[in-house]
Amino acid sequence: MAATSSAVPRGQAGPRRRLDARRDAVGAILAVPALVLFLAFAIWPALRVFYLSLFDYSLTAPPEWVGAGNFEFLLGSSEFHRVILNSLFYVAATYVPSVCLALGLALVLRSRMPAAGAVRLLYFVPVAMSWVAVSVIWRLVLQPDGLLNQTFGLDLNWLTTTATAKWGLVLMSVWKETGFFLILFLAGLSAIPEDLYEAAVVDGCSAWQRFVHVTLPMLKPTTAICSIMAVIRGFQAFSAQYVMTGGGFGTEVVNLYVYKTAFENARMGRASAVAVLMFFLLLLLTLLQLRLFRRDDR
Amino acid sequence: MGQAMGRAHRRRLVAVVAALACTAGVAACGGGSDGGSDGGDVTLTFWTHTHPPMIELNKTLIAQYEKANPNVTVEYQTIPNTEFGTKMLTALSNGTGPDVINMDDNALRGEYIPKNLLAPVDPKAFGKGSVEELEKGYAAGVLDGAKDAKGTLYGVPSELNSTAFAINTKHFRDAGLDPKKPPKTWDEVSAYGKKLVAAGHGQSFNFNYIHSGWYSQMYQTLLNQTGGSIANGSCDKATVNQPKSVATMQIWADLARNDKIADPHKASREATAPYQDLATGKQSMAIVYPWSMPQIADSNPDVYKDLSVVPLPQVDVAKPVIRWYGYDWAVNKASEEQEAAWKFIAFLSTKHDAWLSDVGFIQGQQGWTESKPAKELDDYDTWAKAYTNGKFDQVCPHWSEVQDALKAAIDKVVFDGVAPQRALDQANTQIQSSIE
Repeated sequence: MAATSSAVPRGQAGPRRRLDARRDAVGAILAVPALVLFLAFAIWPALRVFYLSLFDYSLTAPPEWVGAGNFEFLLGSSEFHRVILNSLFYVAATYVPSVCLALGLALVLRSRMPAAGAVRLLYFVPVAMSWVAVSVIWRLVLQPDGLLNQTFGLDLNWLTTTATAKWGLVLMSVWKETGFFLILFLAGLSAIPEDLYEAAVVDGCSAWQRFVHVTLPMLKPTTAICSIMAVIRGFQAFSAQYVMTGGGFGTEVVNLYVYKTAFENARMGRASAVAVLMFFLLLLLTLLQLRLFRRDDR
Repeated sequence: MGQAMGRAHRRRLVAVVAALACTAGVAACGGGSDGGSDGGDVTLTFWTHTHPPMIELNKTLIAQYEKANPNVTVEYQTIPNTEFGTKMLTALSNGTGPDVINMDDNALRGEYIPKNLLAPVDPKAFGKGSVEELEKGYAAGVLDGAKDAKGTLYGVPSELNSTAFAINTKHFRDAGLDPKKPPKTWDEVSAYGKKLVAAGHGQSFNFNYIHSGWYSQMYQTLLNQTGGSIANGSCDKATVNQPKSVATMQIWADLARNDKIADPHKASREATAPYQDLATGKQSMAIVYPWSMPQIADSNPDVYKDLSVVPLPQVDVAKPVIRWYGYDWAVNKASEEQEAAWKFIAFLSTKHDAWLSDVGFIQGQQGWTESKPAKELDDYDTWAKAYTNGKFDQVCPHWSEVQDALKAAIDKVVFDGVAPQRALDQANTQIQSSIE
């Protein structure tokens, strides 16, 4: 940028500056519609949620100020605690295996095995499908007489007991989400220079040592992204729980709780308070993860 | 020069915008806020849940009404049953709801009326001088499902459902049971069920495990018979963990789980076809409503021939109690076409015979049992009797939360094997938190 400026002859600096300023102005004007839409449909609703969390608001009557009342209710509500635990379970049980599995598969698929492209595509198909479609399919798979029980000779009521419903959802979600992280890891792996592996081989490193001392450190930025995305995607879960169990049998997650509180029970203030708490929880988890990965870098 | 051109351009722009605004304003005025009273064009929006025979008749009646009233257009929308309550409540709350609604009495009394979302009935639209006069056209108690605590009426029934019991006579014969001697108590349902299971009919009796509304209406059916309750009369204290309510849950647990007369895990959970298992001949006995039978007759005529409707089994045969529930037509308080909306409802409500013969909807008007389609009903005697001693559910504010708590308790008892008292203690805490 500096080199470009210095290349401009002294006498032409003024017109060039005016041209740049005009171009910047046009750019800014062109960005206005997008900015207005972003403010109107992203920032304003978010601010409104913060505001509403301090009110008791049923949509049909003016909001009534309750201060921290909604937060006090939630923090003392055993139902809300259960919902948070359900979400934490879902995030951990779904995304830890998904990320690990994706990493393992990426290592396998990186090698020049026959039809690796087709296999990659197959793993990515569930990612491209909608959550609702996948949930409907898996609801059939997990029926007492469904494909899973028949294939493995099981006698489990996957979606109608508390002991198994959450695992049914985890099973489906791992199947759906692994492909997403697989793509990220494949991209990360392709960015690791082959020289490093060659040097490690020359130094006598075993395959495991190459994985631990070359692959994993070089994949740290990708792993950080996967980890953060996993937590965010996990806490965004809604459709699968809604379609497969309706939130019953210990599968009601935070977003479903927000939906029911806001739209079935018309308690907008309380639902907003949940959203605010979740915002801070996710922010905290994200900062913790960033810190964790940054510290490891040093 | 440039500034002058810019000013001229701005003036032209302002003129165009002003012209468009005026046109829009005129168009809006022309859209008709006259409520149809002076013959101006009126568009009414009308939402219902999905029940195929009802949808078909609604479309027929709308066509008739539009033909007779060329200035009225009815925009009819159906919404999947599992989303109906949520969508309707949200739309009514934010002012985008339809002019005419059709909703169950639990939601009306538990959510819509307390939230002041509905317009009181306009008796003039029905050609009556007063609400009292309108009420005289209905059997005693029939309109209670659409009244608030002060007795103000907010709707008229599109369907008034009493409760009965269907048995598959073929299954009964297979099991050596006499279909003419159906079970009279829940204990007998269990005893008969065991014989049916032994004869190879593994799903002898099941409740409907569809959504919280279904769960709570089935629970309430038993609760009426045991004398239990969900909350006290003033709705400020949850009572669902009291002995009679726990006894109710025990009846459910025995039938669904302990007596092994069916596997609730294998029950169909399809909201649009709630009687799928009975209709396909998989299930032998079920709690049914008048509308259930035409639906089965349409979808599975062969099985329908084997079904017989008998009185609802009781806890105490000497003191039978039947649960009533209804769907009512009502008008959105925010509607600008209230007068036209009530006139349309008045038209729909005069078609009692079509509702009964085509859809199986009984509306409870005076003397309905004497009408021709009533007498042509299969199992007429059972149905006529089922309407003699009905009782609407008690409903408290935030009823959908209460229903969710009940559903969770029933799921725990039936599917997880939790003791009724323990499950209802948890539900009671949750219900108390919702209603207080």
